[in-house]
Amino acid sequence: MSDVLALGLFAATCLLILAGYPVAFTLAGTALLFAGLGNLLGVFDFGLLGAYGQQIFGRMTNPVLIAVPLFVFMGVMLERSKVAEELLDTMGMLFGRLRGGLGISVICVGALLAASTGIVGATVVTMGLLSLPTMLRRGYDPRLAAGSICAAGTLGQIIPPSIVLVLLGEVLASAYQQSQLKRGIFSPDTVSVGDLFAGALVPGVLLVALYIAYQLGMAWLRPESSPAIPAAQDAAHGRRLAARVMGALAPPALLIVAVLGSILGGIATPTEAAAVGSVGAGLLAAVKLDPKGRRSAYAAVLAMAGLIALGGVFDLRVGRTFIPGRDWLGIGLAIGLSAVLAIGVADAFRRIHRSGILREVMDGTLKITAMVFVILIGAALFALVFRGFGGDRLVHEFLTGLPGGAMGAMLFVMATLFVLGFFLDFIEIIYVVVPMVAPPLMAMGLDPLWIGVMIAVNLQTSFLTPPFGFALFYLRGVAPQSVTTLHIYSGVAPFIAIQVMALLILALFPALVLWLPRLIYG
Amino acid sequence: MREPDGRGGNPVSETIDRVNGAVGRAVAWCALALVAVQFVAVVQRYVFGIGWIWVEESIVYLHATLFMAGAAYTLLHEGHVRVDIFYAGADARQRAWVDLIGTVAFLWPLSGLICVKAWPYVLASWQILERSPETSGIPAVFLLKSLLLVFAALIALQGVSMAAKAIDTIGAPPDGEGDGGHGGGVEGPA
Repeated sequence: MSDVLALGLFAATCLLILAGYPVAFTLAGTALLFAGLGNLLGVFDFGLLGAYGQQIFGRMTNPVLIAVPLFVFMGVMLERSKVAEELLDTMGMLFGRLRGGLGISVICVGALLAASTGIVGATVVTMGLLSLPTMLRRGYDPRLAAGSICAAGTLGQIIPPSIVLVLLGEVLASAYQQSQLKRGIFSPDTVSVGDLFAGALVPGVLLVALYIAYQLGMAWLRPESSPAIPAAQDAAHGRRLAARVMGALAPPALLIVAVLGSILGGIATPTEAAAVGSVGAGLLAAVKLDPKGRRSAYAAVLAMAGLIALGGVFDLRVGRTFIPGRDWLGIGLAIGLSAVLAIGVADAFRRIHRSGILREVMDGTLKITAMVFVILIGAALFALVFRGFGGDRLVHEFLTGLPGGAMGAMLFVMATLFVLGFFLDFIEIIYVVVPMVAPPLMAMGLDPLWIGVMIAVNLQTSFLTPPFGFALFYLRGVAPQSVTTLHIYSGVAPFIAIQVMALLILALFPALVLWLPRLIYG
Repeated sequence: MREPDGRGGNPVSETIDRVNGAVGRAVAWCALALVAVQFVAVVQRYVFGIGWIWVEESIVYLHATLFMAGAAYTLLHEGHVRVDIFYAGADARQRAWVDLIGTVAFLWPLSGLICVKAWPYVLASWQILERSPETSGIPAVFLLKSLLLVFAALIALQGVSMAAKAIDTIGAPPDGEGDGGHGGGVEGPA
């Protein structure tokens, strides 16, 4: 009986979600209805829900997840202050005179900047609004333009630092621990968000390389599909172009590299890196929005560099019992620089506030963060009820009973996730489905990082696949009438082929995922 | 860019929307404060080699307040993901039915459950005025736990506003000026 209810709960949730009521509440509400039904039938004990309050509290105070609002803040700041837009423009100028150059720019910018919002819809809409009109005006084949934008918009999800990877890493970590405890391993190995970032980096770069290779191939085989920007239309070149590149392209690129580098290098936690990234994004925004913001931003950056340099010369730790006089000098200087840093940052944010953008950034951060965490709260109830019906055991038995062992089970999970990706966004899948299927897969000996990256690339493919792919809907919403739905569908087809190829490569060579984490973390 | 709150069309919705609008605009500052405090913590740790527990804990408080108190505001401004395969093409009346049934069947039971299950948990914390497990931490864990009830109450309230608006739409004359007003390409009601 409880097996039937477990399956029924899953099926009913999938169906009811389609009605269009916010997913988080549908998840929780359906689970609660089934819990009531199970209670009436005598197969569900309401006492199991007693821990729900505590579980929500656990998710509120989970330190790993604090990285989420911070990465969102950084992403929204770069987007609303038009730093992202200028980045795309400048890259277009840099590569534009190459055949296929504009397409390459779209992919690079998508990979760099899409990362921090983590919502397929938002990313594709932004990229579509920013770059589709430009590409069409420059005579790009609408199919190639639409395909590139959809693919670039979903690509950012699996390139670190992305909030999707933060969430996935957190879920995989607890699933991995559980699956080991169940097997009687009481000093379990751990995986962290940083591990997943490291694991996703090489596959992400692989995808970017394959996408760019495709752009170049198209430009070579069918030059009319991706024309170069004529030199005459392109006012900035030579020294002026170099200046623009230094001004508009280098700072955000450096910011992203610094954030990612400090996480992968094990210097900072994702949360810490995200806070520094948010402040950095604020400084970039202040320069962009207010010409007078330049001075404060430079002062802040110089003070930060000074602090790092001081740390190399003096021992600045103030918590020691004995501090030699020489170090007091350093500490004094560091306090002075910290004051400069604080004033510079405060002035930069004051200017962003005056331009009205800060309100929008805080508002956007609030909404996206609340959206993510309410899904967590809803999914927690779903998981509690599903497990109460013995659903996790059911999934485990089913997966281990499949022919083909671990690979058979993995193939089945991938196919299921692919279909679910038509209906559910990344975050829902991470919190509802991954905790169900990951522990059995890990128990069968598959590596948690490899599972995570395969899931991420697979879902990205799903979001691109007609007729239901998320990315396609969103691009349709912002594309001009001259781009038909058929253009979009046929434009993404080659990118889907690339995705499938990448999945095969990763399946055959798991080392592509595992090499970097092992190199960094041993 | 912000949409005016409190334009629900009926006094109940207007009042609720205004309340949650004000709450949302207030707690949005937590986002900025979160960035600022975490940045200060980074400078403290990496430059001066110190970490204050109450600073670390205040980050958790800001983080939790941001989304627990802001969830209802997000609902007001359509920030929660919907799967809109059906919903996007539906007319105002069909959408209103989805919103009404969803609120009654999903949202209110959820907030009810949280109230029932979290009440003893929060109460126990208030009775001992639960402090941080760390001696130098923030002695207000009972306030942090109370966010569970704040969350449940505010989303239930926003559900009332949503349901009231939906009932208005459903009750309005079919070819009328029903809100939503996505007119244009949407097919008329069956």
